Amino acid sequence: MSKILVALKRVVDANIRVRVKPDGSGVATEGVKMSINPFDEIALEEALRIKEKGAAAEVVVASVGPDDAQQQLRTGLAMGADRAIHVRADQPIEPLAVARVLLKLIEREQPKIVLLGKQAIDDDNNQTGQMLAALWNRPQATFASKVELSGDTARVSREVDTGLETIEIDLPAVITTDLRLNEPRYVKLPEIMKAKKKPLETLALDELGVDITPQFKVLNYAPPPARQKGIMVKDVAELVATLKQRGLL
Amino acid sequence: MAIRASILDELRRIVGPAGYLDQPSDIEPYTIDHRRLYRGATPLVLRPQSTEEVSRILRLCNEERIGVVPIGGNTSYCGGATPSADGNQIVVSLARMRRIRSIDPDNFTLIAEAGCVLQEVQEAAAAVDRLFPLSLGSEGSCQLGGNLSTNAGGTAVLRYGMMRDLVLGLEVVLPDGRIWDGLSQLRKDNTGYDLRNLFIGAEGTLGIITAASCKLFSRPRELITAFAAVADPSAAVTLLSRLRAATGDAVSTFELIPRFGLDLVIRHVPGTSDPFDEAHSWYVLTEVSSARTDSELREIIERELFAAIENGTVRDAVIAQNEAQREAFWRLRESIPEGQRLEGASIKHDISVPTSALPRFIEEASAMLNSLVPDARILPYGHLGDGNLHFNLSVPVGGDAAQFMARAGQIHSAMYDLVARYGGSFSAEHGIGQLKRTELARYKHPVALEVMRAIKQTLDPNGIMNPGKVL
Repeated sequence: MSKILVALKRVVDANIRVRVKPDGSGVATEGVKMSINPFDEIALEEALRIKEKGAAAEVVVASVGPDDAQQQLRTGLAMGADRAIHVRADQPIEPLAVARVLLKLIEREQPKIVLLGKQAIDDDNNQTGQMLAALWNRPQATFASKVELSGDTARVSREVDTGLETIEIDLPAVITTDLRLNEPRYVKLPEIMKAKKKPLETLALDELGVDITPQFKVLNYAPPPARQKGIMVKDVAELVATLKQRGLL
Repeated sequence: MAIRASILDELRRIVGPAGYLDQPSDIEPYTIDHRRLYRGATPLVLRPQSTEEVSRILRLCNEERIGVVPIGGNTSYCGGATPSADGNQIVVSLARMRRIRSIDPDNFTLIAEAGCVLQEVQEAAAAVDRLFPLSLGSEGSCQLGGNLSTNAGGTAVLRYGMMRDLVLGLEVVLPDGRIWDGLSQLRKDNTGYDLRNLFIGAEGTLGIITAASCKLFSRPRELITAFAAVADPSAAVTLLSRLRAATGDAVSTFELIPRFGLDLVIRHVPGTSDPFDEAHSWYVLTEVSSARTDSELREIIERELFAAIENGTVRDAVIAQNEAQREAFWRLRESIPEGQRLEGASIKHDISVPTSALPRFIEEASAMLNSLVPDARILPYGHLGDGNLHFNLSVPVGGDAAQFMARAGQIHSAMYDLVARYGGSFSAEHGIGQLKRTELARYKHPVALEVMRAIKQTLDPNGIMNPGKVL
């Protein structure tokens, strides 16, 4: 039976307002709630549903990141993944490097499908899945909003500017997931307890022999300009006058 | 007797051209309460911007025997800030006094003016990495002055207490215009009667609070939110005791929700869903927090909930893994009033009894209500952690709303009599206002009422402060 590999990234929780560090060197993460990248969580949910339908035997979650990324892998295990692989990386690594790491894991695990979010909400790169398919030399279906498996092919509906596009790809393949694909499940307490005993393997980056040399350098982080406070107008006349004065009417 | 025009002019002069409203369309919002139970009238809404102006207003009104109704964000559930219908009272809005006067992170205190919106106070504390813990549904519009005057509660009372517990000092303008500067930032100050607590919860009947010195706490960094199905209210109380003991009193929220409450929300509020596959009779929403990032709190909660599942106290439980899930759990709790409103007519109570007595009380009160209105759908939900339940009834399915509501008085009396037998309160966190004055007279100890009247007489002999409220 076949295996699904799901990539999970640890990111600042989607509902937390991020703050740029005063020196502009990055986003403050100390004491900030971190979660699984929501698109990756959707990828995992899809993998679990495929397995529950009997179309896969095992779901393996993997994350490249600091030791704390194990928290997100444990959450993935509590959602229902069978085992986890943590590739330890303390420095920030770019999509190409992540794709190279994932390729190494593919070589070890031989999955039928690699599922991951279409992008991570921290850097919004939207590159890893595409780069991985190219390095692996296998088909890709990006921005999936519906996935149907049949034997060695997958029909994937994807949202494009003009509407919905449905494509069929041969497996093994890379599928990246969009928001509308599914709604991830809640994590139940008994599953959390079970997850503590599931295997979580840790690998060092250099064990994998992957080149992670950064391809670009971030010069500065800056928050968007603060929104101006609204003003109160006394009546419609003043409202119209103000809008005209600002050239908005 | 209508207020003389010359006096209205004098009041306008005190606050200046930007400090009053006297056009009917501007005044109207100040004359209707949040629940639309009362409609009052007033010739003038004053919006002073300093304590000195408040003092001059009260001195003049006291001399002229004019009733004064202080108002904050107008979110009272009891008509506490709505003037009488005769138009003989003026309204004083504190909205323009909204400065955070000072903040002292190392003393864990801040001083804020009464017109600050609660959320602004919370944000001022967060900006210096501190927590101002008062939190309630209307925090985006209610004002600190209203929170103080009504001794507001909310969802973090279990851990941090009511508004009263969060105050170190006050600045108050007395009915005769004298200013009491009691903005102490001391935690220890045993020097005579506790005047501060006289004004907190007085609902503006003893003077106008213009500023307060408030306690701050360390900002929580780890927050664990769980939604659990429990066997019954008694199991919920057992679970709460266990969680409090195991976490060293780190439980900040513990809310009880019956199945009917969850049904109403799922039926009427878009985007909500049952966290579990099966229906259960009772649920709790609980939140535990720590200011430490390396705390073992998460593991403790997981262990305790798991043990509770094993011994049958808890039927099933989910823990929020991200903020979106946390908000989804809270939405189930906070949408109950909306769900009940959309379901049709309802009769409401805001009662408290000791937490340990709640399971027996719920059973007895439910049986009593069902004997009065056989098909009424009973909805006891809310802050189990501090003994405060909103013990409501929805009109029977297919029942006549007017006929049902006509029973309200009888149902209130039966409920409050039962609450009294349990040593409880008929108004746990919403106050008295003009809605519950009869109940106050009936259930408050006669000696307490005598002392309250004596205090009122001493501080406000002319009875100008918020007439027709509380006493």
